[in-house]
Amino acid sequence: MTRYIVQRLLLLPFLLVVYSFVIFVIMQAPPGDFLTAYVATLSATGTSITADQIQALRHEYGLDQPFIVQYLYWVQNLLSGHLGLSLEYQRPNAELIGAQLGLTLALALMAFVLTWLIAVPAGIYSATHQRSVLDHVITVINYVGVATPNFMLALILMWIAFAYFGISITGLYSPEFVDAPWSIARVVNLLEHIWLPAIILGIAGTARLTRIMRANLLDELNKPYVVTARAKGLREWRLVLRYPVRLALNPLISTIGWYLPQLFSGSLIVATVMNLPNIGPLLLRALINQDMYLAGAILLIYSFLTIVGTLLSDIALAMMDPRIRMET
Amino acid sequence: MTRLAMTIALLACALLNFAQPAAAQSKYHEAPAFDDQVKAGKLPPVDQRLPEQPLVVPVVEKVGEYGGVWRRAFLGPADANNYVRVVYDGLFRFTPDGAEIEPKLALGAKSSEDYKVWTILLRKGARWSDGAPFTADDILFWYKDVIQNKDLTPSLPTWIRNTDGSAAKVEKLDDYTVRFTYDRPATLFLQEMANQDGPDLSYAMFLPAHYLKQFNPDYTPKDQLDHMAQASSFRSWTELFAQKATPTSNPERPTMAAWMPVSRVSDPVFTIRRNPYYIGVDKDGNQLPYIDEVRFTYFADQQALNLQAIAGNFDMQARHIQMTNYPVLKEQEKSTGKYHVLIWPTFGGSDAVVAFNTTYQADPAIGKLMATKDFRIALSYAINRDEIKESVFLGLGEARQAVPAPSHPYFPGKEWAQKYTEFDRDKANKMLDALGLTKRDPQGIRLMDNGKPATIEISVVPAFGAWPDVAQLIAQDWQAVGIRAVVQIRERALHQKMRESNELMTEIWNEDTTAFPFTGGSKLDPRNSPLQTLTLGPLYYRWLNSGGKEGVEPTEPLKRIMALIDTARREGRDGQIKAAQELFQIWADNVFEIGTVGLTPMVQGVVVVNSKMHNVPTTLGNDWPLRTPGNARTEQFFFAK
Repeated sequence: MTRYIVQRLLLLPFLLVVYSFVIFVIMQAPPGDFLTAYVATLSATGTSITADQIQALRHEYGLDQPFIVQYLYWVQNLLSGHLGLSLEYQRPNAELIGAQLGLTLALALMAFVLTWLIAVPAGIYSATHQRSVLDHVITVINYVGVATPNFMLALILMWIAFAYFGISITGLYSPEFVDAPWSIARVVNLLEHIWLPAIILGIAGTARLTRIMRANLLDELNKPYVVTARAKGLREWRLVLRYPVRLALNPLISTIGWYLPQLFSGSLIVATVMNLPNIGPLLLRALINQDMYLAGAILLIYSFLTIVGTLLSDIALAMMDPRIRMET
Repeated sequence: MTRLAMTIALLACALLNFAQPAAAQSKYHEAPAFDDQVKAGKLPPVDQRLPEQPLVVPVVEKVGEYGGVWRRAFLGPADANNYVRVVYDGLFRFTPDGAEIEPKLALGAKSSEDYKVWTILLRKGARWSDGAPFTADDILFWYKDVIQNKDLTPSLPTWIRNTDGSAAKVEKLDDYTVRFTYDRPATLFLQEMANQDGPDLSYAMFLPAHYLKQFNPDYTPKDQLDHMAQASSFRSWTELFAQKATPTSNPERPTMAAWMPVSRVSDPVFTIRRNPYYIGVDKDGNQLPYIDEVRFTYFADQQALNLQAIAGNFDMQARHIQMTNYPVLKEQEKSTGKYHVLIWPTFGGSDAVVAFNTTYQADPAIGKLMATKDFRIALSYAINRDEIKESVFLGLGEARQAVPAPSHPYFPGKEWAQKYTEFDRDKANKMLDALGLTKRDPQGIRLMDNGKPATIEISVVPAFGAWPDVAQLIAQDWQAVGIRAVVQIRERALHQKMRESNELMTEIWNEDTTAFPFTGGSKLDPRNSPLQTLTLGPLYYRWLNSGGKEGVEPTEPLKRIMALIDTARREGRDGQIKAAQELFQIWADNVFEIGTVGLTPMVQGVVVVNSKMHNVPTTLGNDWPLRTPGNARTEQFFFAK
């Protein structure tokens, strides 16, 4: 096991080098560069900039250099720890990402916990009470939850809040707290705002996990060992929780691997629509504006999280299910 | 504008100064926000902070009250011009109607008879926001150490160039007098002056020399600078200097504006706070601005911003408000009473034009047609502008070609504004038949010389308005006269790139430069880069820029337009008006771009104003060179208690 983990960890730097190159190639693929996008933004807000000025800036930012030089420059910056300088913000990427990281994680964790807290019990109930009224209700809700894109849900809820309650729920704070220093009042204010986006982000995942849980458990419930245990007089809830549920959880645990990065990127559209200050809109904006160093840094972090997440879920699986052995 | 007007402005300043007895103890009043600091001796009293001759700012309704926070929204660092527009921090500025130029930070300017020599007078005793004196040295620093430094400014700004490309001579006559000497008549000097306030990552023409010297190699050893740059993770000292010199990215940098930044444009909230040394007062001697603070809140998405605007969470904003929300805003205006909605239409032009690439080469047959004047005229007649106006522009504006508004001195006359704008399918069909496009394919599309159906691609970017909708309507109208149009919605950077590389056939954009054909990045001048203009003929630009080696030679009407622009740059106001009118007659007559509907508030013209906010003019010239709403003299806006 330890050997397996060490091997996987040793592979990490190599994978990151490959990813970084692929990411950089993809980011350079769209036509134009940061300045083309910048000029387009300016002209879309009624301003214009001279060709000389653009040329000067292109030189200053090193965008007139060959691809490989730009790539090496980026890698050099990555290694220096501050992840390079954002072209648009003119601030170190590490600082920009760091500022958003806390809230992104908080939001992601809340959505994650919410998902599991609802999905696992609902799935168990649905499976053990198959074809009951409540099972049908849960199933219908699940289908709706899976089928509704969460940004749509965000828009609908925002509209309802505005049209019927006269409040606008964008952002994670009330205006007076946005740039206030941390205080109890600010945390309370944050908690007042964060639950809605957390529910919206969690809802699709909840529906999906409930379905998986239900299906897996149904498979297990008819197996002979369950019948035997029941025949031997084991109490029903103890039986279900102890054996079939544990097995049914396996596929769920293996999803944690991709759940980590998905919690960041999955919130992209919702966060943009709801104007949440997290990494999603930062990435979207960097991509649109071709701020390649910032977008590259964020994408690289995603890749890193995917690798780590996969590793973590492998380890968790091995611990949960003694039947799984790490072959090397 | 003009020497005469300037002289009058100077006189007015002088008279006003005499009218107020200099002996009075506290001639001026200040915001209560400064009381404590002044009492504690941290800040000198207001009389010592103001220049000898402060700028007296006329108020729109009445003398205001101090206090309040002006809530606005912005879309991130690339939206730094949001700040530029609010503060309009220039030596000179356009008046609210945009017809004149008035002194702001400067006291005035005068020119020689032949417009070759300009003298700018500064205000004695004016100070930067940190209390350091604002003098001729601050302009000389910009001239000597910034624009003449090849690393910082690889190519000189055009407006400061002599005919041979060298920099005009700039000298300090005394601490408060700077002289510009050109080898050519610089008749547009003041218009340029009114725009040298440092927009779009450029340097303002006056910089806080006392602060910036520490980041400039003429004063600080280069290796020390490199070290500083590295410590802030910049690639070179030029990036460091740029960052330090830009008010929106460096709150430490002293400023002359009415409000000074206290956070950065890359922060979630960009805040600017009252400048204790601002040079302006109202007629009662109250130091401006009235409003304590302007807060720009970051929005990642324009829709979310608009939702907040509808909810009444901004105090005065036109930027990023979509015209399509006008009916909703009007409804809320009535039902909540929180705000009122104003309309500031643009100076003319047209808010959706179809620009033809007359040097299109990828398909010679269609390229030839687009370069044919009668073809363009026929397609102009084929468009039903009433339909576009009603369904896309909410019934606002009027059908017109891309010429200035009737109120503007450059207006060439009604017949030109409305030329070829009537909806006449028969006429269009007859003209197309006359061009030899008589054969049609089974779908009724006319066949070109090479036997292929005439197909035009309209490239459109959903930037300001509902341009994709305009494109669809035009495509239907053209189909009806036998020309197929394909609407291609593109991401703006891609569109821009294709325009530059001569790949666009036609595009829909707005013609917003008609009030300023001779300065800035006018879309009417083929010598301006396709990056800042429209796809009217990217190869003409290449020809003009390569001295005729590459590209396509401009046609006669375009040559005439360039000649008119050159003439205007040498002439006084009357000559400029004459040249502009002829230019727009040629422009409308040749329909290089088909104007559809104009004079609408599409571009930052729907204004949401908090009901408690006053001194916001109900009519205002609205254009980028005027820095709208900066030309409304934002320092005199105030909140009624």
